Amino acid sequence: MQEKKKKGNLLVRFLGNEKYQFLTIPLFAILISLLVGAVVLLLLGKNPLDAYVNLLQGSGILPKAKYAGGKSMLTDFFSFMDCWTPMIFASLSVAVALKTGLFNIGVSGQMLAAGFITTITVGYSTLSAPIAKPLVILVAAVVGALVGGLIGFLKYRFNINEVVSSIMLNYIIEYVVGFFINTRYVNPISRQSQTVSSEARLTLSGTKIGDLKFDIPLGIILAVIVVIIVKYIFDRTVLGYELKAVGSNQKASRYAGIPVGKNMILAMMISGLLAGLAGASYYLGYYASIQPKVLSSTGFDAIAVAILGHSNPVGILGSSFLINIISKGSTYMSSSLGVDAEIASVITGLILLFAACDMYIRYRVDKAKENLDKKSERRESHE
Amino acid sequence: MNNVIIDGLSFALPLFIMAIGGIYSERSGVTNLALEGLQGFGAFTGALVAYMLMQFTSVDSSAVYYVALLFAMIGGMIFSLLHALLCVRFKANQVISGVVINILAMALTAFLTKVINRSVFGTPSDKFDLGVSARWTVPGLSKIPVLGAVFTNIYPFEVVILVLAFVAWYLLYKTRFGLHVRACGDNPHAVDAAGIDVAKVRVKAVMMSGALSGLAGISFAYSISAKFSSSIYVGYGYLAIAGLIFGNWKILPTLGACLLFGFAKSGGYQIVQNLGLPSSYSDLIMILPYVATLLLLMLFSKHNQAPRALGEIYDKGKR
Repeated sequence: MQEKKKKGNLLVRFLGNEKYQFLTIPLFAILISLLVGAVVLLLLGKNPLDAYVNLLQGSGILPKAKYAGGKSMLTDFFSFMDCWTPMIFASLSVAVALKTGLFNIGVSGQMLAAGFITTITVGYSTLSAPIAKPLVILVAAVVGALVGGLIGFLKYRFNINEVVSSIMLNYIIEYVVGFFINTRYVNPISRQSQTVSSEARLTLSGTKIGDLKFDIPLGIILAVIVVIIVKYIFDRTVLGYELKAVGSNQKASRYAGIPVGKNMILAMMISGLLAGLAGASYYLGYYASIQPKVLSSTGFDAIAVAILGHSNPVGILGSSFLINIISKGSTYMSSSLGVDAEIASVITGLILLFAACDMYIRYRVDKAKENLDKKSERRESHE
Repeated sequence: MNNVIIDGLSFALPLFIMAIGGIYSERSGVTNLALEGLQGFGAFTGALVAYMLMQFTSVDSSAVYYVALLFAMIGGMIFSLLHALLCVRFKANQVISGVVINILAMALTAFLTKVINRSVFGTPSDKFDLGVSARWTVPGLSKIPVLGAVFTNIYPFEVVILVLAFVAWYLLYKTRFGLHVRACGDNPHAVDAAGIDVAKVRVKAVMMSGALSGLAGISFAYSISAKFSSSIYVGYGYLAIAGLIFGNWKILPTLGACLLFGFAKSGGYQIVQNLGLPSSYSDLIMILPYVATLLLLMLFSKHNQAPRALGEIYDKGKR
C-alpha cells in the first residue's frame, strides 16, 4: 500500500513539474494510448510487444530478421524519411493556423490541389532536374497559398466558418481533380495519373549506393529548414507576434491596433503554402502519381501531430516522427504478425483522444500536486 | 422530374435529421463537428445488429430494418457520450474533440468491421451488406401530377425522420427542456443561476445529436450505399453542419437548406443522364451540393448569428 502510494506520488511529481510539462504530458498521453492499444492486441491474441517492435522494424529503426536484395535497415529508414517529409509540412501547416486561432482541416485538399497543378505543369514537362525541382516547390507553394488564402478571405469577407469552407473545398478539389485525371491523365493499367518525370520528382528513387537501393528524399532537408523558419517567425518577428495575438484574443488584438482580418488571411496563406509543400513532397516525392478521388490521410493525421506537438515546430518534429512510425510500420506489422493494418489508425486515434484531454490531465495533475504539497506541509508541521 | 424529387428527398431527409441533432448540440453551446463520426458509428452498430439478425435468425426483413434503425440511434448516442465527456467534463477544445472523434470513428469502425467479419461471420470482408429497404407508394396521392412524386417510392426511414423531426421541433421550441437547451447556448450563467445544471443539459443535447446522427447514418446505409463500409464517410456530416449554419441554427430554415442540397444533387445527376454524358462527368455533378453551400454561405453568412456561448467551455467562476 505504502509502495503504491509512493509510485503515485512519483508520477504526480514527474508530471507536475511545470517546466517539463510540455513534454511529459504528451508523452503520458502516448503511453496511455499504447497501453490501451496493447490491451486490444492482447484481446486479439497477439503479443503487443512484438507488434510494437514490428512497428519500429518496419520504420527502419530496429533491424528486421531478414532483408530482400538491395534492402537493409538503412534503406528502410530512408523510405521512412520519405514518408515523414510530407507529414512535417502538413503538421506545420495545421500548427500555423492553430496558433492564429484557425482550424485548417483542408490540408489534404490543399495538398491535392498543389500536387495536381504541379504534376500537370512541371511533372509532365521535359525540364531538366536543376530547373524542374525548384519549380515544383515554387508552383506547389503558390497554389497551396492561393487555396489557403481563399479560405482566409471567405472567413474575413463573408464570415464563413473556415472549417465548413475548407471541407467544402476539400470535396470540390477531390472531385474536380478526379474528373481531370480520369478523363485526361489516367494511366489505364495503374488507374492512377501518369507518373511524373524523374527530373521533377523530389525523391531520388532507387539510387544505387553499393549493393543497396535508396529512395533519397530531398524534401527532408527543406522540411528541417522550414521548421526552423517557422519557429523563427513565431519567436522573433512582428508577424509571428501578431498572428499569436490574434490567435489568443481577437478583441484585444483589434484594440491594440492589430489588423485581425489581414492576419487571418495571411495565416491561412502561410498554412496553405506549407500544405502545398506537403503536396509536392507527397505526390511528386513519396509517390510519383495521384490516385483519383482519394484525399490522402496525411492532412488529417497532421491535425493529430500538431495537437500532440502543441503546435510548436520542434515539438512537431518529434510528434510527426512518432505518428509516422505507427503509420509507416503498420504494413510490416500486419504482414509479420497477421493483424489488420487498421489497428494502427485506431492507435493513432487513441493518441489523439488522449492528447485532446491534455488540459484535463494537467488540471488533475495540478490538483493532485496541491494535495501532496498540503499533506507534506502538514507532516512537516507535526514533526 | 419524378426521380429528382424522389432521390432528392431520400438524400435530404437524413441530412435534415442529422442537422437537427447538430442544432440541439450547438444551441446548447457545444460545437459539434463530430456529426460525421457519429452517423458513421451509428450506421455501424445498426448494420452490425441487422447483419447478425439476417445471418443467424429468420426474423422478417422489415422487422430487421426497424431494429437496425433503433440500434443505430443507440450506437450513435453511446458514441456521442465520448464527445460530451471530452467537451463538458474534460473541458477539451470542442473543435479538436469533434475532429478527433471523426478520426477515431473511422478507424474504429473499419477495424471492427474487418475483425467481426473474420471472427464472427468467417468471411474476409470489410463491409456488411444490407441491401436496399422496401419502398412504399401511397395509392391515390401518388397519382397527383408532379407533387405525387413526394408520395412515390418512399423509404420507410423518411417517414420515421419526419415524425422525429416534428417531435424534435416541438421539444426544442415548446417545452421547458428545449428552453433550457437554448438558454445554455446563449447564457449558461443565467441557466446556472436559475438552478439548472448546465453540464447535464449539454450532455443530453449532445446525446440527442448522437442518436439523430445515427439514424441518418443507417438511412444512408440502407439506401444510397446498400451496405455499411468505410464509404459511409463521404462528408455528409459536414454537409449537415453547413446546412444548419446556413439555416441559422433554426430547424425550419435548415429543412430548406437540406432540401436544396438534395435537389441540387439529384437534379445534377438527372442532367448528366439526360444529356447522355459519360459517367465520369457525374464526378463534376458530385460537387454541386458543395459549391451551392459555399455560394449560399457567401450570401447569407454575414447576417448569421451563432448561439452566443457556442464553443465556450462553461466556467462557473467566469463573469
